[in-house]
Amino acid sequence: MKIWQRLQQHPERFHPFFIREQVISAIRAHFTSQGFHEVETPKLLPQPSTEPFLEVFETQLKFADGSSSRAFLPTSPEFALKKLLAAGLGSCFEICKSFRNGEGRSSKHNPEFTILEWYHTPGDYLTVMDDTKKLFQAIHHAVFPQSKDLTLKYQGKIYDLSSPWERISVAEAFQTYAGIDTDTLLSKTRLVSALTKKGYHTNKKTTWEEAFNQIMFNEVEPHLGQKKPTFLYDYPTSQAALAQKKKSDPRFAERFEFFLAGFELGNAFSELADAKEQRERCEHDLEERRTLGKTTYGLDEDFLTALKSGFPPTGGSAMGVDRIAALFADVPNIQDVLFFPIDDLFPPKTA
Amino acid sequence: MAMKAGNLQKGMFILFKNEPFEVTKAEFYAPGKGSAICRAKLKSLKTGNTQEFTYKSNDPVEELDVMAREMQYLYTDGPSIIFMDPRTYDQVSVPVKLLEDKMGYLIPELTMYVVFLDDKAIGVRFPQKVKLKVANAEDSVAGNTVSAAKKPVTLETGVEVYVPLFVKKGDTLIIDTTTGEYVSRG
Repeated sequence: MKIWQRLQQHPERFHPFFIREQVISAIRAHFTSQGFHEVETPKLLPQPSTEPFLEVFETQLKFADGSSSRAFLPTSPEFALKKLLAAGLGSCFEICKSFRNGEGRSSKHNPEFTILEWYHTPGDYLTVMDDTKKLFQAIHHAVFPQSKDLTLKYQGKIYDLSSPWERISVAEAFQTYAGIDTDTLLSKTRLVSALTKKGYHTNKKTTWEEAFNQIMFNEVEPHLGQKKPTFLYDYPTSQAALAQKKKSDPRFAERFEFFLAGFELGNAFSELADAKEQRERCEHDLEERRTLGKTTYGLDEDFLTALKSGFPPTGGSAMGVDRIAALFADVPNIQDVLFFPIDDLFPPKTA
Repeated sequence: MAMKAGNLQKGMFILFKNEPFEVTKAEFYAPGKGSAICRAKLKSLKTGNTQEFTYKSNDPVEELDVMAREMQYLYTDGPSIIFMDPRTYDQVSVPVKLLEDKMGYLIPELTMYVVFLDDKAIGVRFPQKVKLKVANAEDSVAGNTVSAAKKPVTLETGVEVYVPLFVKKGDTLIIDTTTGEYVSRG
């Protein structure tokens, strides 16, 4: 049965969708009141961004004279928004659809999803941590106007959104939850052998990234955002292609993710402003795409030209709006806040 | 049988850290920040406890060589549930802890697949839908149909479920055993 048919039978199931509506209005109202500009950027692009692990949707743009051009749906609006920052727009945000291909069917992913991106200038990742906290508290006020505190009930557990939120660096988290020190964390050989010792499956082809994520998913993430939201910050630089390196320790970059109730809700950086370094990292990413067998395309030169022309000190964040809506609506899957989830449109083929 | 974690499916029986587990949920996906993974929920066949584990999609996993036999539920005796093969009258017992969340849907003569590993019953494949009688239902209040399209009723096993207002005591209902929700009148 399709979702609209279920809704016809059970009108009470509209409720999570109404919460979604309130969440989106609250996000918009919050940023507007803080003086951010709301913008729209293209959903059809000559080159999408360069993240190595994201697969893209590709189509063809046809012109009347019979010529055509490769065209892509964006995996995020990041490059376009950064061009507007270089242009001097100031702090801005966008709530829009983004597209990621080949991710598989999961309760926390949909190939077409709603993303919130905002950029705070002048600012950095600490400014954005503060924005994130205020944003969630504003959404809470909008969805639960009667509530006297900032508690959130989700799937039978109670979470507290009041300040301060928990903060732990990636290095501290690996030490505390997995017993892995910083030198081991940053060395491929040592991290893979620690993984083997812990009883995970490894072989000669196991990469640093795989070892990092295995420990992250199995030993670190389960501890995060269990009572209050947790900011996990300062990622190894290889895990932060668009973030500035820390001045005090360039092995790490100014990136954070934040976690609540089993959801990874946002990913933020002190935005990299150095065009030369950005080019090197983008080219490295495109090379990795080739190795991984992902769709390949050229670099968005316009983005690098924009950075070169002068980019203000900026903190930026991307968040999955469907996940935020699922959280405030107290439903287990993001599909519960999508009228037309992918499984309804493209049902799984049964064997 | 060796397989890849990327092919894990709900309902499979596997070895995890040398212990037998049932896969109760498996989601395979490629997250934006890394290579493809499989997030699995595993239920220990020894303790009934559930844990989560994230595999890399190309990790090898040992699938248990199990056999399923269609059997009928007879009765529950303390910590054991007794099933019988209706063809041979063989009886086997399965620990209650493996079916704890489904006990409210267990009625005599209900047929399901009991899963065996080396002649030992290690689990049960519960039917997706069961028929249960309504033991207790209050009459719905006329005129209040807009604000309360649902009411709670108690089924013969003691489980409470929300149903449409027309359901009466003695009706047979079809219940989805995964979600615990009312499907239709049987």
